[in-house]
Amino acid sequence: MPADTVSIMGIFSSEQRAALAIDGLRETPWIIEQVYSPIPSHAIEHALEPPKSRVGWFTLAGGIIGFFTGFFLAAFTSLRWSLIVGGKPVVALVPFFIVGFEFTILFAVLGNVLGLISQARLPRFETPAHYDERFSGDRFGVLACCSEDEQDELTRFFETNGAEIKTNDV
Amino acid sequence: MSTQPSKNQENPLPLMKIFYGLTAAGFLIFITVALVGNPARAWQAYLLNFLFFSAIAQGAVLFSALMHTVKARWSGPLTDVAESFTAFFPVSLVLFVILFLGQQHIFPWLHEDLHGKEVWLNVPFMFGRDLFGLCLLYGLGLTFLYHRLYFTLKDRGASGPFGRWLLARWDQHPPDEKRLASRMTVFGILYLLAFALVLSLVGYDLVMATDPHWYSTLFGAYTFVKAVFIGFGALIVLSSILHLSSRNGYHVEKNQFHDIGKLFFAFCLVWADFFYAQFVVIWYGNIPEETAYVIERTMAAPWNVLAWTVFIGCFIAPFLILLNRRIKTMPRAMTVICLAVMAGIWLEHYLLLGPSFHHHAQYIPLGWVEAAVAVGFFGLLAAAVTIYFKQFPELLVSRQEQLID
Repeated sequence: MPADTVSIMGIFSSEQRAALAIDGLRETPWIIEQVYSPIPSHAIEHALEPPKSRVGWFTLAGGIIGFFTGFFLAAFTSLRWSLIVGGKPVVALVPFFIVGFEFTILFAVLGNVLGLISQARLPRFETPAHYDERFSGDRFGVLACCSEDEQDELTRFFETNGAEIKTNDV
Repeated sequence: MSTQPSKNQENPLPLMKIFYGLTAAGFLIFITVALVGNPARAWQAYLLNFLFFSAIAQGAVLFSALMHTVKARWSGPLTDVAESFTAFFPVSLVLFVILFLGQQHIFPWLHEDLHGKEVWLNVPFMFGRDLFGLCLLYGLGLTFLYHRLYFTLKDRGASGPFGRWLLARWDQHPPDEKRLASRMTVFGILYLLAFALVLSLVGYDLVMATDPHWYSTLFGAYTFVKAVFIGFGALIVLSSILHLSSRNGYHVEKNQFHDIGKLFFAFCLVWADFFYAQFVVIWYGNIPEETAYVIERTMAAPWNVLAWTVFIGCFIAPFLILLNRRIKTMPRAMTVICLAVMAGIWLEHYLLLGPSFHHHAQYIPLGWVEAAVAVGFFGLLAAAVTIYFKQFPELLVSRQEQLID
């Protein structure tokens, strides 16, 4: 971040106001750096219009890997002791398909969890300097950055939208 | 079921004439083939289409009963359309009674030695119990609809003659609403139970018994899951067409299409699962009297081609396509997918019945007779649904407008 920008945090007491402020900010050249919410909020999500989540691709990859893992695990273990039982082939497609299916689900779930963790960049052990404890309670936070000479303007913008201001010297 | 949206409200499409025309054409071809051509083939096509179109109506009405039993609130406009399929119930019952005339051609076990099974598998008992079952199922469905209509028509009014008669009746003897609501739930649940039992019975008696030496304990469950699958498919098709047509105010939200799409997707999996669950057991057991039925249909020519068509068309293709989230919210795309799946299930009905009627077939004896009878049955179903909406046109008014009024 260039040295001549400042980040200003607007703290909102209602979800609706935070969403409105985000809507307003998106029409200005100021950049929204971070938004905090104590609840999963559809209103804020709609206002932010975040890019499509990539977690689904992790799930898909997990599922496909899982299918082959399961199928080949079953095939490999039967080939270790290739005994014909009940006239069935050693590598039998019909029942091994079920093992493949179960592993599809298992690995898809694991892939989903991994995707969530990696995409949300978890775990985070340190809270950022601008973080306010109330964001885990009953307040919404919108962090925006602007150039130094626009600082007053952004502060006014937050205040007219009903926010409490918190500034950090980054 | 107008596929061409038109702004011209003054000049409605002659839907009823079209549907009656289709019915008459199908009926005439059926009669001609049954009397002078090949009666066996005509009656077998009749049985196939009776099972298929009745299952559509029963499965679609199940949606409404299910949604009210679980007190779902997302499905409003979809349940209104689902209930319209109740109009096919009386028709289906009459069609079943007519089936009695063709018994010589649709029950290959009539002249076979059944080795003790004749206690269960004889014409009077079979027709008696199936007729009783269908009467019970349809009776419960119609009673459920009666209670349901009280709550819909009370808010929206009714301009059709039957709707006005109902309203006048409720005006004269105002029912106790609380009792009516609880009775609606009870009848909804009873419909669900009867659906599972009666469709199982019909599946065993009319489909499985065509090969009297084969049995599968899961066949009944497979039959009713299949009915749910195509019932939901038909519901998506009809509500999409009504939604896209500009002739009415009917409107379904995007997320509602998404949700019913997910349900349809889920039942695609359940259908395949029920097939596979039975297939694996038969494969493992490897007992000749069980495997013969499956081998004839899925592995031996000519039927194996049909089996793979059904499996790809009803499971693999929809599975891969419906993984996509956006496509489930697009009514046009869903109409095409659901129609393809329903065509696949129609073929699947043929796959189950065909080999029992045509032993040692060299090619799949599927042709214009089956298609023509299907067109006739489609005409009947469409006419019944259209009559329902002509009686209760208020059901097609957007719920949003209702709120503004």
